[in-house]
Parts: sequence; C-alpha cells; structure tokens
Amino acid sequence: MALRSQLLKGVLDACVMAVVEEQPVYGYELSQKLQAIGLPDISDGTIYPVLLRLQKNGFIRGEMRPSASGPNRKYYFLTDQGQAELEQIAAEWLEIAKPVSQLLKRGGGYEKDR
Amino acid sequence: MRKTDELIEENNHKRELLNVENEKVYEDLLLYLRTDLRIDEHAGEEILMDLLDHLVEAQEDGKSAKELFGESPQKYADELIENLPSQKRRNVFLFSASQVLGLTGWFAASFGMISLIVSFFRPVDNSIALGSLLLMLLSVMLVAFVGVSVIFKIIRSSVFQAEKKKWQAYVKAGLYGAAAFACVVLIAWLFQDFGPVIKLEWWLFLLIGLVLLAFSKLMYKWSE
Repeated sequence: MALRSQLLKGVLDACVMAVVEEQPVYGYELSQKLQAIGLPDISDGTIYPVLLRLQKNGFIRGEMRPSASGPNRKYYFLTDQGQAELEQIAAEWLEIAKPVSQLLKRGGGYEKDR
Repeated sequence: MRKTDELIEENNHKRELLNVENEKVYEDLLLYLRTDLRIDEHAGEEILMDLLDHLVEAQEDGKSAKELFGESPQKYADELIENLPSQKRRNVFLFSASQVLGLTGWFAASFGMISLIVSFFRPVDNSIALGSLLLMLLSVMLVAFVGVSVIFKIIRSSVFQAEKKKWQAYVKAGLYGAAAFACVVLIAWLFQDFGPVIKLEWWLFLLIGLVLLAFSKLMYKWSE
C-alpha cells in the first residue's frame, strides 16, 4: 500500500507540475486542463492536496492575480526547484513507462522480444 | 486589517453564492479546518478560498460538492491538513500575547469605568489586591486555553456526523464551557484579598486598560 500510494503521489505531482509549467493556472483551470488531457479522476478535489504538497516542498508557489473572468484567483507558478524536480521525474517516468505498460497489457508480448 | 481577516471576510460573502446542499458540505469542511489549531491559519484560509472558488465554478457547471470532495469529506479534509504547513511559533506567540493583553486591558478599562459610574452614587474603594488579580487572570487564561482545546475537539469529532449527533456535541461543549466559567468564578470568590493591595484613581485604570488594548491590537496585527 505504501509503495502504491508513493508511486501514485509521484505521478500526480509530475502531472500537476507539467500543466503548471506550460502556463500558470488557478485551481479550477488546472482541473479543467487535466480533464481535457484525459485524466478526469485526478481533476477535481484531488488536485488540492497535491497543490499543497508541492507548495510545501517549494516546487510551486501561489500568487494572487486578477483572473480572466475578473475576480482575484490564486495562480500557481513552477519554481526553479520544481523545474528540476519535474525534469527528474519525467526522465524516470519515460524510462519505465514503455516497458511497464507493455508488461501490464499481459499479452505475453514481452516474451517475444527476448 | 490582516490579510487573513480579509480572506475570511471574502469567504463569508462568497459562500452566499453556494446552493443549500453545497453550502452545508463546504461549511462542515470549513469548520473542521478552522478548528484545527495545528495548521497555519493563513495557508488554511487560502486553501479554503481556493476550494470555495472551485466549488462555485463547479456548481455553475452542474457539479456538486460531493463530486469535488469525494465520498468522505472528513478523509479529504485530513488529507488537506496533512499537507498544510504548521502554525509558525511567531504567530502562536503573538496571538497568545495579544489575547492576554486584550483580556487584561478589558479588565482594567471596565474596572475604571465601573468605578467612575459607581462613584456618582456612593464613595468607591478603588483598591485592588494584586495577588487576586493575577490569580484571576491566570485562571481565566488557563481555563480559556483548556476550554477552547476541549470544545474544539468535541466539535471536530462531530462535524461530519448526522444533525442529532451534532446537537449532542454542541450541548456537551456548552456544558464544558459553563463548567469552565464556574471554575473561574469559584477561584475569584475563594481568593478575594490575596497579595499586596494597590489603590489607583479610576482614570488611571482606564488609561492602563486602553494602553494594553492598543498593544493587544498591535500584536494581533503583527501576527499573520
């Protein structure tokens, strides 16, 4: 369980940081973007504990700004530290993503490659 | 006004935009977060504002608070709390100091005012036993501290429960409060003339009180 949630946390963190890297966003915007990308399950309330954790670790920072629709919103920005962290997670992820998804398809396809 | 107080006030206005059902779920969450004294108050209010903004927009899109916070709002709130920064010692100190000074200030100022009013009708004895005063203030602070922690604990344990359980908790919390108040009265009554006695004019009490209140306000402002 611990390892499982650890893995999930890492992936969630990376997804949120990747969206923030593209463009500073506020909470609701972030959830809309994640949904559009095709990750509806992590789009709603789940993002807030993640945002808090990333802020606590200094990977993102929040700043109040007027939003496109008018009222002030807390926009999240990627910090330099967050940039480095994101690059590291992304590199690690890309290394395992292909073999793991192939393995988990469980067609036995991985044996053919031997 | 402190930035945190501004957030709280904005939150009060914005909550009116929620429909009845969403407001109920959100207010439970709000109460649960605000009565957790371990977390940094400003960070707590910021995330509450984020969630409220999100909920208002989600409501416009026809989504409910349940969809946002999941099946167990308490579990969700615990997850938020786990990731929030803890209260800074500086703020704890400033807040406590402002409360202590405020309490002492109110006490001195009202004592001054009351003795002025009473002096119109009959001669008053403006002497006050310092030991009793100190003991009284200490017991008020102790009782307030213990009382608040106990009452918050009772409220927190019932926030996400059914209405009936909530009422039971509020009654229990009320009884604790009353018992705590009775303790203070009892102590004040038991130790009436204790320690050296000082005698000051009414206006001096008032002046001391106002100065203490000003300091109290200042310290509150310095806390975040």
